[in-house]
Amino acid sequence: MMTRITRLGRHGCDLVEALGRAGMFLGQSLVGRPSVEGFKLWLRQMHFIGVLSLAIVLVSGLFIGMVLALQGFTILVDFGAEDALGQMVSLSLLRELAPVVAALLFAGRAGSALTAEIGLMKATEQLSSMEMIGVDPLKRVVAPRLWAGFVSLPLLTVGFSVIGIWGGHLVGVEWLGVYEGSYWGNMQSSVDFVDDIGNGMLKSLVFALVVTWIAVFQGYDLVPTSEGISRATTRTVVYSSLAVLGLDFVLTALMFGELG
Amino acid sequence: MNDSPLVVVEGLRFSRGDRDIFRGVDLTIPRGKITAIMGPSGSGKTTLLKLIGGQLAPEAGRVTIDGHDVHALSRKKLFALRRRMGMLFQSGALFSDLSVFENVAFPLRVHTDLPDAMIRDVVLMKLEAVGLRGARELMPAELSGGMARRVALARALALDPELILYDEPFVGQDPISMGVLVQLIRRVNDALGLTAVVVSHDIKETLSIADYVYVIADGKVMAHGTPQSLNVDQDPRVSQFMHGEPDGPVPFHYPADDFYRDMLNAGNAGEMR
Repeated sequence: MMTRITRLGRHGCDLVEALGRAGMFLGQSLVGRPSVEGFKLWLRQMHFIGVLSLAIVLVSGLFIGMVLALQGFTILVDFGAEDALGQMVSLSLLRELAPVVAALLFAGRAGSALTAEIGLMKATEQLSSMEMIGVDPLKRVVAPRLWAGFVSLPLLTVGFSVIGIWGGHLVGVEWLGVYEGSYWGNMQSSVDFVDDIGNGMLKSLVFALVVTWIAVFQGYDLVPTSEGISRATTRTVVYSSLAVLGLDFVLTALMFGELG
Repeated sequence: MNDSPLVVVEGLRFSRGDRDIFRGVDLTIPRGKITAIMGPSGSGKTTLLKLIGGQLAPEAGRVTIDGHDVHALSRKKLFALRRRMGMLFQSGALFSDLSVFENVAFPLRVHTDLPDAMIRDVVLMKLEAVGLRGARELMPAELSGGMARRVALARALALDPELILYDEPFVGQDPISMGVLVQLIRRVNDALGLTAVVVSHDIKETLSIADYVYVIADGKVMAHGTPQSLNVDQDPRVSQFMHGEPDGPVPFHYPADDFYRDMLNAGNAGEMR
């Protein structure tokens, strides 16, 4: 019994220590003067993290929008309310599906790659040698990746929503024959810029911070062996998926809990 | 030239988990000389370099470089101090996303405002010195181990450091590149007047270039002196190491239970899953 309590306490201490290390890591990486060199490094990471995630995010967005329209139509048509299809598709996407699904895809596509890349740099002593050259890897390697993640996920989320709504139009209007004017008109009158688009983007920004932070920290903090890299990559995907889903509930409760 | 030693290590203690790596190590590294630190594998030689470079912090003791206490410096000052050092890693540790040319140019680009034409000149000079000017367009993955280490040497020398730390420079080299490296280390030292620390267990090669040698074992400095004096040292542990005898006062075996009892101890068979 005592050993169990001891073990619990030790786990608690380890957890707090890891959180502290992760916090220090984030602070030390992000504080600093912007520079032309930093901007170039950031652009390069925007390509690797953002642009290369575009395909999977857009294709998923298209299919999710099409499925939403299909499922929504079969239910709405029973009540003769298929005119509200545009409203349903757009609100589901903007408030919930685009931020969450894009973040999950981003964790799988870009997060795991970030962890593995930084982990391998650590295992091959590239980070150590950079330190010995007198260049702080937190500024040179970590910071551009963090900023690129923060910026690219919200942008990917916008792309996800747009193409999802277009996919809904494709199925709802072109295929199932919902009246085009009511698809767009209902959407226009029911979607609020701040409440729906703004809150969705805010969610996406929070997810971007959390997922990128987890991915980069797991890479930087891992045990530099092949087993360590595989574990850290797995942890990145598991932790960030759980964090996204958990935070989504909290944020939804805060944002839409009282909208009724 | 300043006569005080460049690096002073005093009472250094460090452990990993339950294992003590250093139990009070004292060293002085004189300026302009090649100092070798030798010892059997696992005696913490690489760890010592990381402690000198400030990448690890000791549990007790001090490392001072040119009067600065390495482990009391702020992160910013530590990075400034490191610009005056070069380190050659055992694996080379080249940046895998940059070409050979860009690897050597990296320290120049981040720490100087030199125009591109001048950076090109410096990089080509450094690469010429290690005999790899023709390999400048290659990526690190296309290099052999020996070539990678020579590129890494060129990179470590790019900023003309005062202090250069060599981590096992001779391990895994074929005889030709070994000879090339031995000469290179001696030559750059004589030509540039820099201070070098060579960590190694290749006795013959190291003794041929070192001015002074420390032998580390069991977390302590076991012996030190010039190569000539160590070669005739009467201490059985020193002479075992210097003459490469397989077993002696420094055991061949990692500490373990009695072999006979261990073999009969069927109760522990469960550990072999």
